[in-house]
Amino acid sequence: MSIMRVRWGPQHPVSGQWAFWLDVDGDIVVNMEPDIGYTHRGIEKVAENRTYIQNVPVVERTSVFDAGNIVFGYVQAVEELMGIEIPERAKYIRTIVGEMSRIVSHLYGLGLLAIAVGFETMLMWFINDRELFLDLFEMLTGARITYSFFIPGGVLHDLPQGFYDEAMRRLDYFERRLKDYWKMFFLNRTFITRTRGVGVLKREDAIRLGVVGPNLRASGVEADVRKDEPYAAYDQIDFIIPTEKEGDAYARGGVRFHELEQSVSIIRQALKKIPDGKIRVKVPITPTPPKGEAYSRVETARGEIGYYIISDGSNRPYRVKISAPSFRNLLAMPFLSRNVPMADIPTIYLSLDLIPLDVDR
Amino acid sequence: MIKVEEEVVETLKQTFTEYVVEAKVQREKRVTVVVKRERLVEIARFLRDNLQFDHIASVSGVDYPEKNEFMVVYHVWSIPKKVLVALKTSVPRDNPHLSSLISVWEGVNYFERETWEMFGIIFDGHPNLSRFLLPEDWDRGFPFRKDFKLRTKPE
Amino acid sequence: MMRKVEEWKEGRCRLFHFEIGKIQDWKPVKDLLNWARAWSLWSVHLCTGCCSPELMAVACSRFDAERFGTLPFPTLRECDLLFILGVVSEKMAKRVKITYEQMPEPKYVIALGDCAISGGLWWDSHNVVQGVDKIIPVDVYVPGCPPRPEAWIQGIRLLQKKIMEGR
Ligand code: SF4
Repeated sequence: MSIMRVRWGPQHPVSGQWAFWLDVDGDIVVNMEPDIGYTHRGIEKVAENRTYIQNVPVVERTSVFDAGNIVFGYVQAVEELMGIEIPERAKYIRTIVGEMSRIVSHLYGLGLLAIAVGFETMLMWFINDRELFLDLFEMLTGARITYSFFIPGGVLHDLPQGFYDEAMRRLDYFERRLKDYWKMFFLNRTFITRTRGVGVLKREDAIRLGVVGPNLRASGVEADVRKDEPYAAYDQIDFIIPTEKEGDAYARGGVRFHELEQSVSIIRQALKKIPDGKIRVKVPITPTPPKGEAYSRVETARGEIGYYIISDGSNRPYRVKISAPSFRNLLAMPFLSRNVPMADIPTIYLSLDLIPLDVDR
Repeated sequence: MIKVEEEVVETLKQTFTEYVVEAKVQREKRVTVVVKRERLVEIARFLRDNLQFDHIASVSGVDYPEKNEFMVVYHVWSIPKKVLVALKTSVPRDNPHLSSLISVWEGVNYFERETWEMFGIIFDGHPNLSRFLLPEDWDRGFPFRKDFKLRTKPE
Repeated sequence: MMRKVEEWKEGRCRLFHFEIGKIQDWKPVKDLLNWARAWSLWSVHLCTGCCSPELMAVACSRFDAERFGTLPFPTLRECDLLFILGVVSEKMAKRVKITYEQMPEPKYVIALGDCAISGGLWWDSHNVVQGVDKIIPVDVYVPGCPPRPEAWIQGIRLLQKKIMEGR
């Protein structure tokens, strides 16, 4: 049979902001090529045009789904360049915000995975419970998803009054909901049959292709920046890194689900342990770090993000390289969609949790 | 604490004496190695096979117009060793050719393609250097080079 | 038979004593049609930028834009509302135009986010269209980065008002 080239997206309900070229033979996809760049804003170039502080909201737009952790890496790199040590309390607040951001992002990703397998109800549940944490963000930072809360030197605000009780109340509720999710979603026959064995990524392939984050851990590699190279307050908190061996779509969903549980426990511990003190050190409004370079790694919801910042001694960065997690996971997408039925493509795509925004930057 | 890092630096210095321009421990878990581009592929293969640097983290180009060269930086993480190495090499600006590392780390594929598109560095041996992030009919040069100026006033 | 179809198409067909085309201009009928249009604005599912996470929040149960008849729908031939979700890059601009041209009349556009209005945060970027109204006509602008769900809903309500006033 002849091979036909089909274009998928960008105007397609699950495609998001990009397109795929699919070479199909009947119903089987023989080759797949991503067609990206639909949201290429040139963040790395624009960042050279702004001062270090002005860049915080700019780099945040790399992926607004997980705004906390994305900015985390940037401010850490700037702090390393300037040689600043931030106060203990700021570290804990950063940990709390980072984990809440991870929960928000995972709920979004799992909700989308639910659409791919035809679970409209689960989407509604996940997105609705996401609002629990968006409200907490609003209480803490004043914005729902783009809060630009971290600045070089610390964080912008202290925890507001009543935040502890409110957060604990919501976490209790959320933990009850997690049990429901497990029963309704992950033990559901339909869900299992539609995701088990789809898009199997083996351990060696995952490492070879440079896959990161939950996708790597679902293939059995225990690699997490929070453990390998503890930043903020992660070295003072107990948690485990969930891993799975199978490497299929179900395992990737499962890893993210277990990470939700871990995040809840991390936030609890951090809220209990948080010390008193200052929330930031004084940093000039246009910082001028000395000449040098820094590479900072942070574990975002989709995997490790790397910021490579070169300073030439002026108040603007000479080069900012963002090595975004979805860009690194992207290589797995053509690899996995070879010789699979067309109907599996949405499941593979959404189980990898690829976001076109941080692919394009 | 930084024993592993120093070991990496020492091994590299001893094996590729005159091709390693500079090798140092930047801080804990960070190693910087500047190499000459003629032996880049071999050094990369040595890093992967003998020193277990298996997980590619990023490939970035940096433009230095006053030195008339591009710097290409490969950041590679080692999952067993938990060390990040920055493998740097420079290419002349008027003849930017570099051999691709795709035979060593397959994960550099899209990174090199992006670097080609943004800086115009040609990676010899790369299977598919074609338009990636910019529009198909882009003809305004290489946007991440320093001589590509952005507008200074809003339109 | 063919003649009849042609007549229907041109709106010249007679129903009782009126020509259909004329009926539409009759004020009560026009108001009724506009009312129906305003409350069933189905939107095209086209994400252009980073304002898209809020689309989920708006479409799902907490804010629930479906109360106002707005439902993201996959087939754009059946849609009459196009949300521009934030920044429009030059590559996306062509697709936005194609999408807009494919939609049947009457069609409306809501530009969401500072980027879609004027370029916003990316005023100096090399690949961003400075305002989506350079490519397609826009009915309602909603500022914000990204706009809050309440602001989206206000935008939808404004568009409904505009339609019902017959503009
Ligand atoms: S308005 Fe803000 S959130 Fe929306 S697309 Fe522009 S930068 Fe992104």
